[in-house]
Amino acid sequence: MRLHLVELILFSTYAELRAERARSYLGLLWWIVEPAMNMGVYYLVFAVIFRIGGQDYIPFLLIGLTLWQWFKSCISHGGYSIWQQLPLIRQVKLPLQVFPSVQILADTVKFLCILAILLVALWSTGYPPNVAYVALLPVLLVELIFVSACTYVVAAVVPLVPDLRFVIEQVLQVIMFLSGIVFSLDGLPPALRRWFELNPIVELVDAGRGILMRGEWPDWFALGRVGLISLALYVFGSLLITRLTPRYVKLPT
Amino acid sequence: MSETIIRLENIGVAFNAQLRVGSPRFWALEDVSLELARGERLGVVGRNGSGKSTLLRTIAGIITPDRGRLKRAPVSCQLLSLALGFMPHLSGRDNAVLSGLMLGLRRREIMQRLPAILEFSELGDFFDQPISSYSTGMTMRLGFSVAMQVEPDVLLIDEVLSVGDAEFQQKSGDALRERIHSGTTVVFVSHGDAQIHKVCDRAVWIEQGRSMMQGPVDAVLAAYHAAPPISPPPTGP
Repeated sequence: MRLHLVELILFSTYAELRAERARSYLGLLWWIVEPAMNMGVYYLVFAVIFRIGGQDYIPFLLIGLTLWQWFKSCISHGGYSIWQQLPLIRQVKLPLQVFPSVQILADTVKFLCILAILLVALWSTGYPPNVAYVALLPVLLVELIFVSACTYVVAAVVPLVPDLRFVIEQVLQVIMFLSGIVFSLDGLPPALRRWFELNPIVELVDAGRGILMRGEWPDWFALGRVGLISLALYVFGSLLITRLTPRYVKLPT
Repeated sequence: MSETIIRLENIGVAFNAQLRVGSPRFWALEDVSLELARGERLGVVGRNGSGKSTLLRTIAGIITPDRGRLKRAPVSCQLLSLALGFMPHLSGRDNAVLSGLMLGLRRREIMQRLPAILEFSELGDFFDQPISSYSTGMTMRLGFSVAMQVEPDVLLIDEVLSVGDAEFQQKSGDALRERIHSGTTVVFVSHGDAQIHKVCDRAVWIEQGRSMMQGPVDAVLAAYHAAPPISPPPTGP
């Protein structure tokens, strides 16, 4: 039974990526062009026009945006996946965690492509690989759990309250600015910054920047804490989907 | 009497009529009781909106009843769904695999059956083309060919007994009838008396979400046609 679901998730992810390629002229190129354009806009506004940040601002921004985009696209795609699949859900009995999982996997594949390009860009601009790269794996793993957890929770709630779709993009925008993606949080008073650090995204992006820009090891305690919170949230999200499944099929068409 | 594999006792199913806070619930099934024995072919008759499709999806385990008791032996129940999960930009082959996985087959099993699906659907070279280039009939042929690969313990059929153009209708109808008469347990919803007669060995009559009668096909159909339609009940809380 379990293996069957793994096969379904993997093949659906492949199908999703394939279909995405077929839906536009540039196909797979958009995986890279779209986030690059996004990064370009932020660079233009904040680095060129407002002249924010010092010499390290470009890698700071690119790493932040790359990690953020992963989170954001999983929520935007995976968060709506159960709602979008309601007609299918009325036809067949499946564990509904499958649908957000497929979107998370598809967005993770795209993220890994962008990460590879980011790494090359960093190496060629004076931020060479270092031994702390080993820590990238646990950092990305914790982010994957966190991203999946948030996506599950959103995916569970959106079918019951579809109005949330109009709010989620705005909320994401606010979270981005509060997570130190484009502005450094270093300028904040320490007392205030402590509060900001309760946000798991701040920890994860900080850890990523430390590794890639300065060869620093992450704060393992903080990473472990984020990992445990994410895991608990993931279990909660998954249980929530299971719990609410009987209600989805009874929603008006 | 063979073993009872599914038993519904006074089942009720309510839907949300609208996405509004405090909107009343609509009881699609009010009070349905029935039994299904292994190997039996049960026909479900009733007027439009009487709850037949809801009943099928309740038996399939897709819908959880809001009241009453549903007992099911460890059997697999599958609604005969055509083109389940199909994605327009994917090839017929990929869609066959995807749909098969959604219907509960293992990937290995579908791979083994791909030649049979290709042959039965008569798609030829189109099998490797995106299904967005297919006609409706071709998509239905593929959907039917995939759906027929699944062999559940209980097959649930909602009206569809054959699909496609005249020639394929004959072929798909024959294949499904062969499946139905091969000992599979079947629940068959239909408006057509003739089809119920041909397919089923017992019938249940559903009216306004209630099971009115179950028993031999002739007796149930006679009672169903003799009864005047009941006016719809008010939507309850």
